[in-house]
Parts: sequence; C-alpha cells; structure tokens
Amino acid sequence: MRLTLSPYEMELVRRTLGREPNEAEWLTIDALWSEHCSYKSSKVYLKSLHSVGERVVMGIEDWQDAGALDVGDGWAIVLKLESHNHPSAIDPFNGAATGVGGIIRDIISKGARPVALLDMIRVGPLEDEKSVWLLKGIIQGIGFYGNSIGVPVVGGELSFDETYRDNPLVDVAGVGVVRKDRIVPSVVKRPGLKLVIVGATGIDGLGGASFASRKLSGEDEIGAVQIADPFAGKIVLDGTLEVLDYVEAIKDLGGGGLVVAVTEMANGVGAEVHLDRLPLRVEGMTPEMMLVSETQERMLFAVRPENVERVCEVFEYYEYPCADIGEITANPEVVFKYKGKEVVRLPSRLLLEPPRYTYPVVRKRRPQDNVTPPPLEKAIRAVVSHPDLADKEWAYSQFDYEVGTSTVLKPGEADSALIQLPNGKLLALKGDANQDLCEEDAYECGRAIVAEAYRNLAAVGAEGIGLVDHLQFGDPRKPEVYASFVDAVRGISEAARFFGTPIVGGKVSFHNENKDGKPIKPTPLVVMAGLAKDKFLRPKVEEGRLVQIGLTRDETRGTLLGRIFGQFGELVRPRLNEDYLASQVVIDLINEGKVVFVKDVSKGGLVGSLVPVLAKGFGVKLNLDAMKSDSSSPLAKLFSESTGRFVVITSDPEAVVRKAYSRGVEASVIGEVTEASYSLELDGLTVDLTEEIDRRNRLLYEVMG
Amino acid sequence: MGRTAVIKFPGTTCEVDVYRALLEAGVEAEVVKYRDFDPDKYDAVVLPGGFSYGDYLRAGAIAANTEAVRLVKEMANEGKRVLGICNGFQILVEAGLLEGALLPNLNLRFVSKWVYLRVLRKDTFLTEGIEKDVLYMPIAHAEGRYYHPDEERAKRLAVLAYSNDRGETSQDHNPNGSLLNIASVANEEGNVVGMMPHPERASFKLLSPNSSTDGLLLLRGLAR
Repeated sequence: MRLTLSPYEMELVRRTLGREPNEAEWLTIDALWSEHCSYKSSKVYLKSLHSVGERVVMGIEDWQDAGALDVGDGWAIVLKLESHNHPSAIDPFNGAATGVGGIIRDIISKGARPVALLDMIRVGPLEDEKSVWLLKGIIQGIGFYGNSIGVPVVGGELSFDETYRDNPLVDVAGVGVVRKDRIVPSVVKRPGLKLVIVGATGIDGLGGASFASRKLSGEDEIGAVQIADPFAGKIVLDGTLEVLDYVEAIKDLGGGGLVVAVTEMANGVGAEVHLDRLPLRVEGMTPEMMLVSETQERMLFAVRPENVERVCEVFEYYEYPCADIGEITANPEVVFKYKGKEVVRLPSRLLLEPPRYTYPVVRKRRPQDNVTPPPLEKAIRAVVSHPDLADKEWAYSQFDYEVGTSTVLKPGEADSALIQLPNGKLLALKGDANQDLCEEDAYECGRAIVAEAYRNLAAVGAEGIGLVDHLQFGDPRKPEVYASFVDAVRGISEAARFFGTPIVGGKVSFHNENKDGKPIKPTPLVVMAGLAKDKFLRPKVEEGRLVQIGLTRDETRGTLLGRIFGQFGELVRPRLNEDYLASQVVIDLINEGKVVFVKDVSKGGLVGSLVPVLAKGFGVKLNLDAMKSDSSSPLAKLFSESTGRFVVITSDPEAVVRKAYSRGVEASVIGEVTEASYSLELDGLTVDLTEEIDRRNRLLYEVMG
Repeated sequence: MGRTAVIKFPGTTCEVDVYRALLEAGVEAEVVKYRDFDPDKYDAVVLPGGFSYGDYLRAGAIAANTEAVRLVKEMANEGKRVLGICNGFQILVEAGLLEGALLPNLNLRFVSKWVYLRVLRKDTFLTEGIEKDVLYMPIAHAEGRYYHPDEERAKRLAVLAYSNDRGETSQDHNPNGSLLNIASVANEEGNVVGMMPHPERASFKLLSPNSSTDGLLLLRGLAR
C-alpha cells in the first residue's frame, strides 16, 4: 500500500516517538494524517466558518460526523454532505454507491433515521464517451444503494463541463431525523466501555483515505475502491436504529477504516483492540489489512459491558456479524494486538494532532478579454440547448424518490425538494454550486451559491435555516488553488452569516485534477435546509403574466453564457440583501396565493429560468423594455446571472409589484406566458425553439440509452 | 374484520409506509418481523415493497422460500386476504401464489414515476365495490415486466393495467414492457392480489402531485 505522508511528516513522527514506527504503525499514521481524515490543509480556515445560531444543536465545533439543526417540537434534522470523487472516477457504480452508504452510516451514527438524499453530479461533456459511461454508472450506483435501503433521493443537480472530464464530482447529501435529546455522540468520555463492531472486514478499499488524499495516479488503483453491499447496509441501518438505547457512542467505519474509527471514537482517551476477534470476509488477511481496510457496512459501537449481548442479539437476528473487539482504556494510547502480539502502539495525541498547514496564496491572473459577445438568437438557442438545463427525468426516474412516503415536491418539480418531517413541518432542501463563477472569482461565488440556495428554498415557500458545505478544489499546494479555497470559505461564511443559515458541517476534497495535473474549476458546493413558513408552492405552468422580481444588472462574467461563448463583461457580484428581500417577497406571495409558478433567476439567466416554462409546451412573450435593469443590452437582460431575482407567473401582476415595492424590491411585468408553444417572442424577434426544447426534453434518454 | 400483518423481511423498505397508509385507510394493522410471524393472529397479510434479501438471486426469490411465506400460503389457501406490493408481488409470483413472472423492465432500468391504472377486475378483495375505473399512483421497480405464457389466462387474471388518464391502455403508457400493460394480477378467487404500483404512496393528499388518494380506495379492501 502506498503512503502519502511527506518526508517532513515522517521525520516529525520519528522525532515525537523517538523511534522508527513499524509498517502497521506507518499505515495507521498515514490514514489518520491523511487530508481526507485530518483536514490538515484546511482546518485553520474552516475554523472561520459561521457556525452558530439558535437552531444549531450540533455544529462544526463539535467535530462530530454530521451537523444537526432544531426543527421544532423536540425534533432535529441531521445533515451531512460528502463526495466520492476519486472512487467514482475509477469505478463509477461502486464509487457512487458507497458514497451513499457512507452518508447513511454517518446519519445513523447520530441516532437519526435517514429520510432523504440529494445527489449533485458533475461530469465531462456528453460528447465524451467516458463521461457518458461515468454518469450511467454513477446514477445506477446511487439508485442501487438508495433504493435498496429505502431512502429517497429527492433532488439534485447535474452539470456537464470539460473541467470534470477526468475527475467527476459525485456529491451526496443526506438528511436524518432524530429527537433532539436523543442524539448519539461519536466520541466517548470515559474508559471501560466495550468496543463492538458489526459487519465483516474484507480486502476492499485498502488505504482508501490515503488514495482520496492525492491526485489520481492513472495506475491501477481499483483495490482502493470499496465495494457496495446495500443489503448489508440496510441491515446495519435497521439494526443500528434498534440498538440506540443500549450504546454510548456510535461511529461508522469510513475513510481510514478501523484505525480511524477507533482513534476518533476514543478521542484522546485510549483504546485496545484485538484484531483476531474481528469478523473477516476472507482468510489470509494480514493485521495491516485489517487496520486500514475500508470495507463498507461496518459500524463501531461503544457499549457498556452489560449491554454487549443485547446489541449483538439485534444483529444476529439478521445473521449479521457482531463482535466485542476490545475496550476504551484510561491509558491515552491506541493499541492494536493480533494473537497476543502488539502490532500498533501509538499515542492518541500524535494520531489526532497532525501538523496543520496553510499554503501560500497567489491571485490568479486573467488574460485580457478578446471574446466577442454572441448574436442574440444564437445565444438563446445555445443556452436553451445546454445539457445543464436538459430534462433530468432519465436520472431521477432511476431513484425510488417516493419511498418513506414523505416526498411532497418530487425531483424535477420545483427549485427545491420538499419533504414532510415527523412533526408535520415541511423541510425544503437544495444543493447549489457554480463552477463558472468560482473559476472567475471564488469569493463572489461562495456568496452566490449560498444566496442561490436561499432563493431556491424561497421559491417553494421556505426560509433557509442552515447549511452544510463541501469544498472541492485541486492540489492545495498550488498557490492559485489555495487562494480560491480561501476565497470560497470567506464568501460562503459571509453569506451564511448574512442569511442566518449557519454552517453545521462540511467536508473538503482537494487533489481534484485532470490527467495533466490541471485543477478542476473550484467547485465549492452547499446544501441548504429550510422550513416552509406556512404554505408551500407546487409550481404550475399556465397562461398568465410574467413578473420579474429584482433588478437585472449587466453581469455576464462567470455565467453559463460565458461557459459556452467565452466569459466577457462584468463579474456577477451578489447583493445579498437583494437576495434576502426578494426571497421574503416570494414567500409572502406564495402564502397569499398570488403566484402559480416561481423560479429563481440563476444558471442561464432569464432565458435559463424560462426553460421550464417552455418545456411544458407554452410560449413566452417578453417586453424587455419594461424590465428594470442597469443596462439596455438585450444580451445582459436575457443572460446576466446577477442575483436577487425571481420570475413568477401570476394573474395579478399589480399585487406582485405592489408587494415587492413594499419590501423595497424592484419588480416589473416583463411579459406573458402564451399558448404559442415553444416560441420565445421578443420585440422584433421571434425564436421558434421547438427543436431545441424537444431535444432538451429527450436529450439524456437519447444519449444515455 | 380482523387484523392485518405487514411482514418485514431483511431488506424490506416499505413496511412503515404501508402501515401508515393502512391506518389512514382505517385498517387495523401491525408490522411483524419475518421470523416472528404467527398467521393465526391475522385475517390478512401484506407483503410490502423493498429489496428483500437484497434482490439476490432474483427479486423475491429468497423470501419466497422462507417459513414466513410458507405460512402466507396456508393463509391464502384458507381464503384469507393476501396483498403483495412491488417486491411483495415478486415474492408471491416466486412462491407460486400468483401465476406468471416479473421480468426485468424492457429498458433494463429502474423506473420511478406516477402512472394511471385502468381497473380491469372488480371481483378481488382489493377492487370490489370501487367506483373509479382509472387510478393514479406511483411505480418504482426494475423488475416489473409482467409475463404469462398464456395471454388469455393473463387477461382473466389481470386486475390493473397501465393506461393514460382516460383509461386507454396503449403501448405508449406501458412503462416496463408488461404483457397487455398488466400492472396487477390476482388468483381466480380474488383473495390473493399482487401489484407493482404502490397504493401506500398514493394515500396522502399532501404527497400526491394532484391531491388524489386513490391508494386508499384499494387499501380499504383490507377492511371491507
């Protein structure tokens, strides 16, 4: 197995220990100190994330496996977001499937019942055969796992961009529900508890945490990918929820395997584990393999001695392996023994306190613009046809999105997913990223994605209450990459503070690069949760007046239009207060029943927002002169992605405008939805989009088969 | 009217959904784990959807060979009511309680969507007395293509068929390639019914795209 420790780190270990560690110990340190498990290159900045608020039950400071937010009536939701980028690049089916499994285990580790999943997928262009293969496998893998364990995938994102050709991004978010006072910790506080493992350990995913913490080598790394067994995952899920009353702490075995789970659970106290008691899948495994195997569907429980039998009985009912493998000790060392012989003895402190880094930052220089803005009609056709805006039914129809009977708004139905919680409240969920803007300016982008998520929730009638983030970049040792990381953290944190949506959890994924070592476009991603204020909106397209709420600014740099034709013009700079106020207006309008359809203006600008209207077989007639804008350019009016805007369909445009004005927000009647199918009518230009819309509706079915 | 058992196998995912929908339909029910099932305590049994035994071998094949399903067969033979939903339907077919087979969908993909269903038979406990001829509810399966070697026989047994909102059962509305668009069959006597669509997911107004609750119309059959 390869190590990713640097020579400096190895020297530091030798110096601290005063001796040369053995092979098993090197593997242990390599796993604990991996970027994946230790956040050594990001933790300093992560400390700056806005993470406090009235609803925060469990936040980033707690360094638990997931965050939790109060949703009232004694209930909390547990939120978790994670990627499985590297495994999915090699084995998309298992890579994506195990990503789902890992999220689910993180949620049940808190004693919460998983109720929803979201998947945010980014791959290379559809013209690329490998990207098509990857996407097929990824979607199948997510469906395979999520469907089998009975947790609905209720929403997501799908984006196609050259930057992800070699390094797809597979982000999965999970939501669980738990009684607020029954959240189970991941760490123990006192010695004497037994360590009980469920699930058998095999030889898959060897050294996976380390693998995820370096760039893909192009060599055969299939052994580092875990294999998914959702049937076992379902037993672990059901069993874990049954034993909650008899366990003191729960940790799932994820990145870094047993050594990481044991060390993190002991959290500075000690632990002694007997590897020969570990249930195994295959014969002939060495103790080293047992230490860092990342076989899925395993959990670690800290259990009072008198409860061990009770816990194992539950799993044995399902004929699932369960074993007492050791205990928490007072001596602050992590010890692994095999057949009486010590294979690892390392101080807990050394393992939990790797060196922390911040790297040099250099502002990325942009070459001078030489982009000629495209002609209007060409731009309209190109944006409407872009695969990012294509119908996604091919993907979500492979997910059992109704299981659990709580899915109120279905995938593809609205800007956000909406599920019913056990207390009857409605929880909206949305994941947003924006690689176009992040490539131009990661700070503005960090602000923009939080603002977009906030608007997306408002579009169904919900107000954001908190979020989780996932920061995906290239190699942090590259100053331009690290600069974008720092900027994104600052932007996300600032917007989270502004909207009162604290960040309750997150992950960082570095080393996302293509074959030639070129980093991906910075792709931080947030998933926001919110509660419907009272009524919610199930959007419906029908004939009526179109009103834009908000002011269009001439901001075309960092947009989808720019991705297609080359970036030009001014950068998108969110005015967060406009996002907030416009969102409040929309929530009010939904509650007053004044709107039948609401869509935020984001990817593809106004034209992008009108695609769902056109796709339903209607036409749109626009009067651009009536639009409130700081520019008279039709291109800006149609494709700017300046924030703080929504389009709504209403039969009472005066009431909509009045409501907006009362909150200090611009609004203008910009046109109407007509019966003239697939036609976009502007002053002096009518574009028949029949072909584009038809292709957009069938695109994924046709390409993906 | 007696109690209804909702049996949970390892890998079953819909037992709580079905239980909640049965309560909504006014059916007295409880979830029973597969090893704890005592048929004498119940007048009816539901095999809910999910992935029993991870769909290993063939969907429903392993569950069909458990002691619990042997007991379900006895109940069926005594004339008690048996409903299999989705994976439960697959189990009933694998167990020989219903005729035919459920093959992988024609496009070989898992398909999740809301569909319209034409009611073809009203002499089963599930559909008896139902006034509507077209129902609306979701399907979610990878192996739901109904097949029977004898088409005439299949016509006799079919309870529901995929259709449009007017009840027309053309191929355009066949989501998985089922013979004659068949979504549900029963035995001759009408006391054993299997269906691929999920009535429990069409039992709550809030969760339905058009506020209908057609699933309740069927599930009330367990109370009638």
